[in-house]
Amino acid sequence: MRIRKMASFAVAAAMMIGSTSAVFASDFTPAETYDTGERAYTGQPVTTAKVGDGSGETISTDEYAGVEGKDYTDEGYYTYNDFLPKITGLNWDPLSWKTTDDGNVASMIDIGFYEFVPNPTLDGYSVVPEMAAALPVDVTDSYVGSYGVEEGDTSKAYRIALNPDACWENGEKITADDYVYSMQQQLNPKMMNRRADSFYSGNFNIVNAKNYLYAGQLQYSLITDTAGAEVEAGNTVYIDMWGFWGMEGMTDADGNECPQYVACDDDTMYRDLNVGDSAADEAWVSGAYLYNTYFAPGCPYEDYGTQYCYTAAMGEEVSWDDVGLVKIDDYTIDLIFVDSIPQPAFNLPYSMSGMTWLVYQPLYESCKTFYDANGNEVDSEDEAATVTTNYCTSLDTSIGYGPYKMTYYELDKQITYERNDNWYGYSDGRHLGQYQADRIVWQAIEEHATALMSFLSGEIDEVSLQADDMDSYASSDYIVYEPQDYTTKISFNTDYEKLLEHGTNSQVVVIDEFREAFAFALDRQTFATAYTSAGTAGYGMLNTMYVYDPFSGAAYRDSEAAKIALLNTYGVSYGEGTDYATVDEAYDAMTGYDMDKAHELMAVAYDKAVAAGIYDGESPITIDFRVYQSDDIYVQMFNYLNTQLQEACVGSGFEGKVSLTMTVDADYYNTMYSGGADMIFTTWGGAAFAPFQILAQVYCDASDGSGNQMEVGFDTSAVELTMNVDGTDITDTLQNWAFWANLQDVPTLDEKLGKFSDYDSATQCAFYANAEACYLHYYVTTPLYYRNVASLYSQKINYVTNTYIQQVGFGGVRHMTFNYTDDEWAGYTAANTLQY
Amino acid sequence: MKKYIIQRILLMLLTMFVIMTLCFILIKMLPLPAVREMGRDINLVYAKREQMGYNRPLLVQYVLFLKAVFTRWDWGVGEQMYQALSVTEVMAQKLPYTILVNLYSILIAIPLGLLLGIYAALRKNKWQDHLISTLVMVFISVPSYVYAFLVQYIFCFRLGWFSLTLESLDSAPLFSFRMFRSMMPAIISLGFGVVASLARYTRAELSEVLTGDYMLLARTKGLTRAQAIRRHALRNAMVVILPMIIGEFIGIVGGSMIIENIFAIPGVGNLYVAAINVRDYNFFMALTCFYTFISLASGIVIDISYGLIDPRIRMGSRK
Repeated sequence: MRIRKMASFAVAAAMMIGSTSAVFASDFTPAETYDTGERAYTGQPVTTAKVGDGSGETISTDEYAGVEGKDYTDEGYYTYNDFLPKITGLNWDPLSWKTTDDGNVASMIDIGFYEFVPNPTLDGYSVVPEMAAALPVDVTDSYVGSYGVEEGDTSKAYRIALNPDACWENGEKITADDYVYSMQQQLNPKMMNRRADSFYSGNFNIVNAKNYLYAGQLQYSLITDTAGAEVEAGNTVYIDMWGFWGMEGMTDADGNECPQYVACDDDTMYRDLNVGDSAADEAWVSGAYLYNTYFAPGCPYEDYGTQYCYTAAMGEEVSWDDVGLVKIDDYTIDLIFVDSIPQPAFNLPYSMSGMTWLVYQPLYESCKTFYDANGNEVDSEDEAATVTTNYCTSLDTSIGYGPYKMTYYELDKQITYERNDNWYGYSDGRHLGQYQADRIVWQAIEEHATALMSFLSGEIDEVSLQADDMDSYASSDYIVYEPQDYTTKISFNTDYEKLLEHGTNSQVVVIDEFREAFAFALDRQTFATAYTSAGTAGYGMLNTMYVYDPFSGAAYRDSEAAKIALLNTYGVSYGEGTDYATVDEAYDAMTGYDMDKAHELMAVAYDKAVAAGIYDGESPITIDFRVYQSDDIYVQMFNYLNTQLQEACVGSGFEGKVSLTMTVDADYYNTMYSGGADMIFTTWGGAAFAPFQILAQVYCDASDGSGNQMEVGFDTSAVELTMNVDGTDITDTLQNWAFWANLQDVPTLDEKLGKFSDYDSATQCAFYANAEACYLHYYVTTPLYYRNVASLYSQKINYVTNTYIQQVGFGGVRHMTFNYTDDEWAGYTAANTLQY
Repeated sequence: MKKYIIQRILLMLLTMFVIMTLCFILIKMLPLPAVREMGRDINLVYAKREQMGYNRPLLVQYVLFLKAVFTRWDWGVGEQMYQALSVTEVMAQKLPYTILVNLYSILIAIPLGLLLGIYAALRKNKWQDHLISTLVMVFISVPSYVYAFLVQYIFCFRLGWFSLTLESLDSAPLFSFRMFRSMMPAIISLGFGVVASLARYTRAELSEVLTGDYMLLARTKGLTRAQAIRRHALRNAMVVILPMIIGEFIGIVGGSMIIENIFAIPGVGNLYVAAINVRDYNFFMALTCFYTFISLASGIVIDISYGLIDPRIRMGSRK
């Protein structure tokens, strides 16, 4: 027996050595480069229509009435017990909060100017004023000649009537002065509060807000001409080293970090660690080198200066009087914006919901600490170079003005909120049928099993479910499904040189057909059902949560253009002579799973890989799949993907040679950015009302250096996308189309088509769908599933609706009603085993 | 002895300084994670890092760090985690839970472990010994979080003897019976391992000592078996066991990430790992210094304890 064991061990060892040597000791040397060939994609024809004057765009203010008596007038005492997977060091300072949990705490004790509530028929949302007394009124005309407002401008200045009954939880009235003081703190240049950008980015760009914040600091502005022309004019041009060359975190020979912007005449060389050999070309680069090699007149990126080159100017001191927030009287403020607000009837209340920017002056001032330029603590803000605050990080430093106030906070353990008797809503008669909960307790429970047992014991009133729980609870009467605007995908590294450095033959993933074969080998419905609690098969980058028309609630994914984009991606035909008569029929039948096609594509990929000299045709191929963690579900997901990939290889030269390996890497996103991983799971979302911004902001390396693109090696500026617009073919790079849809200045498209915002929603959908289809066409990312959350709610409570409503969810605490008081519930759970 | 202790303390401070310096330089050499937030002004985050002095020369940062620590006992605030919260305040709030749970656990586990080990040694190769040894092997081999789930499911969920999670200070003061009771599942889960390892060591050491020639001599001098075991065998066995017990006490500040997660204990169990993962410089330095100090100090205490247990062992002697 022992001999047999030893023999089998020896054989296994020999096989391992053999396979390893096949990888590492082969005479074959892969080609140094791989040419993907010209990348050009032709989209669907687009017939355009311009946007209307917006006069028909109104938003409902009719609110669901609630259940009579089921509100704050009920004399019973009701506690809603919820949990957070983590309450790690929350910071709910309205001016600097960071995480979703931070924001959730703030929205418990604060309330917005406007709130989204269920409409009377519980099938959509309405908007009601809260800290505001009425909807915003356009007062642009009254500012003509000031704050940059010109004759004929519209939707640039709005008057907000403040709720005169609003007060802090200590009973002090809230007036316009509080809003002005708080905004001054939000834009305080010595504090650099994290949420300041909420008031100068996107649609909500208050006049001079950014200038006030950055006063006295160097500000960089994208050039509008070529870099060469700027230099010719005597200006110093700065290269975005991070955005253009990925130099964030790199250093010079003395260990000094590479700044984001480096002057075009700066010779300081920084080591580009993405180039393995320090003696190789471009292993060291400087601002001067990049300018002279890429942006100077006649260089290959001369025309891209408007995306990567900047001029710099010291931010001038801006008087507060020049900032577009004006106090009209104690209960009226005006907001003046740099640009006209698109669809203001929706976008203004949307931007001003959830919470305001209010901080309570006496407490905020007492929470400040002052430091001079050397980091020494000083006595006053005047002497200070830097001001920090710990406002809203503990019970003592917290104050709010919403329906609830915080009464207990224990770090990483528990937060308790109780009714704020000073809230205007309990006496204004407008909130009858709402806020029945007297007390809300959030416990920190990180372990899912603990949370589930706590729920089944009646200790908490809601619990999210995992895939393993669905066998027991999928048919429960108490289950609700919350769709999310996140899509989980697989993203590939297609940077050939980087892949080559891995030494595992994973460079074969640069072959388009290889990735496409993998995409067709995945049964997304099976995947979503088996490995997620409530996920659904995902085919596109955006799911049905992305709304392009906030007034009708129309979803981008449901538009015909978006459906056709996916049908083209997954090769499903429709119309005469096909299996499906209409787009909808074809779309409903689409699975994206076709193993036969995967086999064909994989055979083509093998031939291409060998012909291109990037693979010897025999050696094992190991593709490194980086994951955040290795819990049971991840392992199951990995096993499925590995099995399907190997199945796709059957019948091709890759058969028996390709496998995935799973590497746990908590920093896997950054590993991918640096080209260190072959493939990873990626998930983007969180902007349900901004579908057309997603492609530019997370799939194309942005010119502002944020560089969110996970598909390393896929250069969207080298992909040409042609659309036939009203009968004329218009070709530009995928990156430019994406930036154009993101409302950025793209001279080449602006010239031919005007601004993206000039077009109506349907036309915008058509443009964007072509760009999405183009990105998917190269299979550098393969959508897997749309994320949804399945939860159980307690027998103690009722949601206002069990069908998810965009922006409102299931109605939240505002509309939650209770079946048991606390005492009744304690008695009920003691006497009964809860069944779900 | 005094001279030896002073020497050791000075050496400890020197070692501490070297480790502190090395850690500061090494952690600062790791760049902070890139900021990737869709549609936000990432320059605000970089400006905040600039304000926190992260872009200054390393030596300047280190001098400022030492100055803040030694003049104001200011270890900074969290940037990547526990944003804007004082590092020392966070540790002060979280450490008592970890210490209490672990302390209760070893206070219960040590006598149990010793008794089982002694009993097994005295009943060596009898069924009692086999039973204890088998259980010991099981409890040493199986990770504590497995017991934790079982303890939670059986004692908390099914039988309802204890609460599923730790009580908050809102419902029970830290030093109250109610809080102690809610800690029991964690105490039991943590205790299994300590009982098992202590019983194994005690059995092994005592078994060896019991077969020593001096034990035979002690019996021939007329001591009863109990007297010989108490006066000679146990004392000799303790030379090895006591440092282990001291080590357990010192380990109470470390915490157990998984046990704390399961029972929702807001302790320090995962603080260090999280600080490294998210690269929060201030938390990393404070925790490194804290654990380094505890570790170095425990080395001194353990060394000194040898001399106290066995007078024949003298530290610092040149002979």
